[in-house]
Amino acid sequence: MADRVSALVLEGVTYHYPATRTPALADITLTVDRGEVAGVIGNTGAGASTLLLVAGDLVPRVLGGELTGRVTRAGRSALLLPTPWTQASGMAFTVRDEVAFGPANLGWPLERITAAVERSLARVDATHLEARDPATLSGGELQRVILAGILAMQPEILLLDEPTAELDPAGAVAVWGLLRELAAEGTAILVATSDLDALPDAADRILWLAGGRVRAVGSTRDVLSDAALWSEAGPGSTAVAGAWRRAALDAPPPLTVADAVERVR
Amino acid sequence: MSAVLGFEDVAFAYAGRPALSGVSFAVAPGERVALVGRNGAGKSTLLRLVTGLLHPTSGVVRVGDWDTARRRPDELAHRVGSLFQHADQQLFARTVADDVAFGPRVTGIAAPEVAARVERALESLGLSDVAGEHPYDLPPPWRKLAALAGALALESALLVLDEPTAGLDRRARDRVAAALATRAERGAALLVVTHDLGFAAETLDRALVLERGRLAWDAPIAGLLTDAERLEGLGLVAPPLARLSHALALPGRPVREREVARALAERCRA
Repeated sequence: MADRVSALVLEGVTYHYPATRTPALADITLTVDRGEVAGVIGNTGAGASTLLLVAGDLVPRVLGGELTGRVTRAGRSALLLPTPWTQASGMAFTVRDEVAFGPANLGWPLERITAAVERSLARVDATHLEARDPATLSGGELQRVILAGILAMQPEILLLDEPTAELDPAGAVAVWGLLRELAAEGTAILVATSDLDALPDAADRILWLAGGRVRAVGSTRDVLSDAALWSEAGPGSTAVAGAWRRAALDAPPPLTVADAVERVR
Repeated sequence: MSAVLGFEDVAFAYAGRPALSGVSFAVAPGERVALVGRNGAGKSTLLRLVTGLLHPTSGVVRVGDWDTARRRPDELAHRVGSLFQHADQQLFARTVADDVAFGPRVTGIAAPEVAARVERALESLGLSDVAGEHPYDLPPPWRKLAALAGALALESALLVLDEPTAGLDRRARDRVAAALATRAERGAALLVVTHDLGFAAETLDRALVLERGRLAWDAPIAGLLTDAERLEGLGLVAPPLARLSHALALPGRPVREREVARALAERCRA
């Protein structure tokens, strides 16, 4: 096995939004390696979105506030916001140009931009949309296109906030599969999601945030099996684990359909 | 009982690009209907036809006995509470409570009743503590809840909701499910666009599936969710509990957590 290479490192990070007294993040230490998918879970307000803004160098640099601790990135990062309709450039009249916007701003030669645009549109299954005006796309179509624009920049560190919120179920499954492919190619991925059912297959590790602090970090299986996830401060676990728990069957609960079938037989 | 919502051979096109065609269905009071399908299938367009933001190219959309093409959206708000896919676009007041109050106030409800409705709506979604905050100071998932509270406060006969659970955590999802169930029990009809088929299975009873602008399925949701082959053809994926129910051949093929848990307990203790 290849040596682990850290792509994103947060050491003792505490962050306050401008004019606030309670830290949005407190004492966060986290490493994401190349080739790894790390999931971030937690209730709304737990700090997952803020963690991604810190990781993506948008706070404090763009949004202000006060950050202590250290953030180190080995490579270029790119962030998919949870609100894709706010992330379109507004300066492109075709999907193709929208996806080319990021690579063009990196000053790449035309041939490289063209190749990157074609490949990333294909990867998110949006090639059929390339001639459309981004303003006429449905919510899910736009989310794919914005993701394509991010992938076209070939970031070494990929940061995603609810990347499947607008996608149809088949599209969501495809995006989770795509994240595994990108990780296999060496990308470091940090993804916040409320789609906990996707994580057993998609994530290598999970960080559970509560009140801006790390409540638990570990392997996907360990964290999602933690009974404390069902406490007031917890986001719960997978649907299968929830039904198992409700049936008052032996802990730890199975996390996936395949696990449950094995346990029952 | 007469229908709350009726689509009669409805077609719609955006500047010559067809979005819906030949769509016919009716929704009765108290019915809980999921509207599902691929991205771009026409779901949000269909909701905009109900709220009168768009008018059909042909065919008729009726809300009760009103033809939506002959009513203004503000008139329709007397009968339809709606949640947009991007709720930021429907929040504009300085406080969450003011925003929620806007709908009932402009439909001519007296002030004390408006206040009572706002309180009930905020309470049902767990938003009472943020009633005085600016909507844009809330995290995006809560903005969606605030907009949903505004739709609930209309206490209308029909609720049309576009992705009410997107990005919500477990507790908020449970609150939305409970609030919608309460409204349906009191006779409101629900038409809910959602990609969250687990939520749909728990909360709704009937599924309408749009495929390239046409209605491809109209039947009970449990039957759809346990039919893997049909789902795949429609770009859908069975949620985990429906798959578990199928894989273990649980009696009656339940899709809701409570029934799946009961069947699991019986199987494991047998």
